[in-house]
Amino acid sequence: MTQQIELSGINKYYGAYHALRDINLSIPKGAFVALVGPSGCGKSTLLRSLAGLETISSGDLVIAGERMNDMPPRKRDLAMVFQSYALYPHMTVEQNLTYSLRIKGVKKAQAKKAAEEVAAITGLSDLLHRYPRELSGGQRQRVAMSRAIIRHPKAFLFDEPLSNLDAALRVHMRKEIRALHDRLGATSVYVTHDQVEAMTMADHVVIMRAGVIEQQGRPLDLYDRPANRFVAGFIGSPAMNFIPAKIGENGRSLVLDLPGTQMLDLDLALQPGREVLVGVRPEHLVIAPPDQLGFDVPIVAIESTGATTFVTTQTSPEIVFVQNGRSSLQAGHTVRLGFALENVHIFDAASEQRLSGD
Amino acid sequence: MRRIIASVRDGRGFDFVLVGVPFAFLFALAGLPLIYNILMSFQEVDMFSLGSFIRPFVGIDNYVALFRQPETWPILTNTLIFVVGSIAGQFVIGFGLALFFWTSFPGASWLRGLFLVSWVMPGLVVGAIWNWILSGDFGVLNFFLRESGLITANIFWRSDPNFSLWAVVIANIWLGTSFNMILLSVGLSAIPGDLYEAADMDGANAWQRFWTITLPMMRSTIGAIIALGLIFTLQQFDLFAAITDGGPNNSSNVAQYWAWDLSFRQYDFGRGATISVIMTVFVMFAAAVYVRSTRHEVRG
Repeated sequence: MTQQIELSGINKYYGAYHALRDINLSIPKGAFVALVGPSGCGKSTLLRSLAGLETISSGDLVIAGERMNDMPPRKRDLAMVFQSYALYPHMTVEQNLTYSLRIKGVKKAQAKKAAEEVAAITGLSDLLHRYPRELSGGQRQRVAMSRAIIRHPKAFLFDEPLSNLDAALRVHMRKEIRALHDRLGATSVYVTHDQVEAMTMADHVVIMRAGVIEQQGRPLDLYDRPANRFVAGFIGSPAMNFIPAKIGENGRSLVLDLPGTQMLDLDLALQPGREVLVGVRPEHLVIAPPDQLGFDVPIVAIESTGATTFVTTQTSPEIVFVQNGRSSLQAGHTVRLGFALENVHIFDAASEQRLSGD
Repeated sequence: MRRIIASVRDGRGFDFVLVGVPFAFLFALAGLPLIYNILMSFQEVDMFSLGSFIRPFVGIDNYVALFRQPETWPILTNTLIFVVGSIAGQFVIGFGLALFFWTSFPGASWLRGLFLVSWVMPGLVVGAIWNWILSGDFGVLNFFLRESGLITANIFWRSDPNFSLWAVVIANIWLGTSFNMILLSVGLSAIPGDLYEAADMDGANAWQRFWTITLPMMRSTIGAIIALGLIFTLQQFDLFAAITDGGPNNSSNVAQYWAWDLSFRQYDFGRGATISVIMTVFVMFAAAVYVRSTRHEVRG
């Protein structure tokens, strides 16, 4: 597959502040890539550097085979959907859509036709003569998308486009954006702080923290094999539980730092006595019969959404597990929790890097 | 009546009181003189009738007589040249400076603030300074023009009928530019930056961004500034008093200065009031444009 966007060794400094650290990322043509991370992780800076709205301090940015480092935004042929939408308030929807065409000198009739075609796709046909201030948030969002679509750019850049919409509309637009992406055969880079958006929309997820790519890969690969504690905690909701533990004297067993736990056998050899963190996702914790391996924990809180029930334990650190459907458990009960060893992620306590294999 | 008092006392009529106080103030200090001025333009008011309460009513005689005077049209033309010249100069230079400071180099906002010094100076002081600069014999302006080869002989700015009006226009542009610049700077900074980023991504170069984003987004500010400029230039009096005194031979006389001259030097208060009424019509028009332009502000 040809690479549409290729970033190698990208660094970005704001004065002494190192905003992007040695970013390497290849985006194949037609891919939907999500950049995700907590605020201040550099994901927006990376997107804006792609767009040309920020300059890159060092490294190479290649778009469709051409080095673009010093190219101004208007010559990069990328379309961006802004978080604020950035619609031109003094222009009608149609004028907003055809702005890029008019700048290029496309004939009026042709631009109008293009606007009508795009509006038909995005459901704006009846709104072409309205001004942005006369539109709802969802409609503005569509205008911003349409303005990008009409250009047939080399890639679409999305900067948290759904964060100003209400929850229901957000879920809906998520599907719509992905469907549009597939329909247009576009290449998209999508910045979000919402891991659910990233997981559900993207083919390739890039998780960033403090200007560094912590891990990138297919969404479920990140879920199944997080490279470090940060990624493990970031992906999945409710978040993964981390239980401090020690490697047993034979190097092939695990002692959890919880009252009343037994040794758990490991299928990998580690240095005896090494301090580790054991990560278990809430959905992988099961209530075990008393004669099986596990640990006894008192329950402190029960939250039910109807379909699932989240149970919180009174331990330090607290552990959350999920039960399907209604739960008969109550606060104050003590249960024995167990898990299958293949669902356990082991991280080094100091470096927080993954120790367990695949 | 008792109901009105009661409604004030229980707080329900309080809003009317709040509106009423400034309204009464405005009426007493602006409304009454305005009405009185209109009334005077239909009366014969001179040294003999000034002291009496009931003055001879002359209908539109003042208006007719005014337009029969030979100096009326030249003075109205001067007024038009003064207004258009001043506003154009103030606006173009002010916009240029606003765009220049908008690039936000180190110290930009500090320097921009300093520019306001020219605006806070009294017109008479500005007039005195420009008298020196414009002076025919030792003026700095003549020096620069001569040294740069633009002129061969000194221009007597204040006493040459071909230049006297422009002498005041130049001083007035200097006086009003910074006010234009500040208002335009505010207008520029109110344009969201992401619009420029979006336009840049859409392929627009700096020149296209200026014409398609900056100018249309500034429409209400520009409308307001032109309307205010019209009001301020029609009020400009001090500079004429300080620089040319309307002369020589009315070559730099304008309506507002002439109105004062007629009333307080020639003591023909009726005719002075007549000119004021004509000017009021223009200012009202400008005020209407100004109010409309502030109402039509574009919001995203």
